Amino acid sequence: MDRLIARTVRNRRPLSVHFDLTYRCNERCVHCYLDHEDHGEMTTSECVDALEQLAKAGAFFLTFSGGEIFLRPDLEALLIAARRLRFDVSLKTNALLITAARAEMLKRHGVRRVQISIYSNEAAIHDAITKVPGSLQRSLAAIPLLQERGILVKIACPLMKQNLLAYRGVMALAEQLGAPYVLDMTITPMMDGTNAPLDHRLSPEALLPVLQDSKLHACGTKVIPEGFGSAPVLGSSVSSGAESSAYEDLPCSAGHNSCYVSPYGDIYACVQLPMAAGNLRRETFEEIWTDAPALERIRNVRESELPVCSSCEIRSYCERCPGLAWMEGGDLLGAYERACALAETKAKVAGVLNAKSAWHKKISAEAGTLSVNTRLTSDGFGCVEPKEKVISYV
Amino acid sequence: MNVAASGVWQKNPALAWREIDDETVIISPGESVMHELNNTGSLVWRNIDGQRKAEDLARLLVEQYDVTQEVALADTLSLLAELSTRKLLLPAEEGAAR
Repeated sequence: MDRLIARTVRNRRPLSVHFDLTYRCNERCVHCYLDHEDHGEMTTSECVDALEQLAKAGAFFLTFSGGEIFLRPDLEALLIAARRLRFDVSLKTNALLITAARAEMLKRHGVRRVQISIYSNEAAIHDAITKVPGSLQRSLAAIPLLQERGILVKIACPLMKQNLLAYRGVMALAEQLGAPYVLDMTITPMMDGTNAPLDHRLSPEALLPVLQDSKLHACGTKVIPEGFGSAPVLGSSVSSGAESSAYEDLPCSAGHNSCYVSPYGDIYACVQLPMAAGNLRRETFEEIWTDAPALERIRNVRESELPVCSSCEIRSYCERCPGLAWMEGGDLLGAYERACALAETKAKVAGVLNAKSAWHKKISAEAGTLSVNTRLTSDGFGCVEPKEKVISYV
Repeated sequence: MNVAASGVWQKNPALAWREIDDETVIISPGESVMHELNNTGSLVWRNIDGQRKAEDLARLLVEQYDVTQEVALADTLSLLAELSTRKLLLPAEEGAAR
């Protein structure tokens, strides 16, 4: 996988694509960053045309997400197109609408993996987050329907104030179901920039029980990252190697060998970096991918050249995300409060004395005091499923 | 597995695959195993169409690379055997029946 990643980064091929088919949803999760409206979704033929352009550009790992993808009546037609174009297809869904017949349809069209959000093993907690009574029961009912047909199911559990203490139950549930899982601490502002979801985000101190959980360490989680420049490992339904060392001095894959397509045809480097590079209704994907200034700006970011973070002594504990740096701190190259606070907490857990980020040191030096601001957050971790086996005939 | 020079093969229709810059990545959904082919392997893969025989595929290698037909055929048969063992290829008649 490293070889493939290095090659696609070097040659700028969009190996992985996150394609949101709709922002409409049949749940109303309290932490969601979408508005749930239809502002003019791409038609079936526009989506198929987008898929054809993406395939031609070298895209291979395709994740259909939303919103709730099963609200698109043409989902099967899009899966057929993806199949014809030989994509490796994963889905993200709340699974409320998955029946045996729909599971069979997914199998028929070659869907390899499905990621389902489960917030708790207790219905009262899960359903309070989704605001749909009975949603836990319905989501869980879909899992065996998929597994019985050989489709890999992964459970995603975003952590927030409402469900922090439920994560152990989700882990046990996932193990019982034989499904890999991810605990994700990433709660982001809405895509329009408003901060309402952040009210549900846990403080670094509140996350201490998770950061110190020996079971998570035992199953290989990256609670404490080992190396500089590692992107958030999880949060993607495709094990597309986001943690690969092949990215070297790059912050992550965004804009280098991965991108995001919105339901309206907007192209971003990443769903967490909603800096529009272009729109498929006005330009071709190739024109956007090759020439968009927004993508070029992102591609020029180097971890070693970040003005503050590159000199940070606790950088190895930080999972700085360039998208969240831009959304939350307003600066693609800058530090942002949540990443610094979380890195400090992780460093303290690891036994680092006087753990303080370079940015906080700078603020302290400038103001003579430490400014404490806990409005921000980013990162994800969990029990990573085994990497896909790679056989090279080279 | 022995593969005959006159054998005809077809890509397993269940596969996801993409040729990217002359190299090919293939994933078999059932096993979630990723396979990678280099440029010569990709040339063979690209031309497996349920019509060409192994010896035809070897001839394409001879046309593109500085290699004898004998060596090209041996390498092609070896690759086809490996891909067949991993169920990435099916005998043409079996693939057509699916």
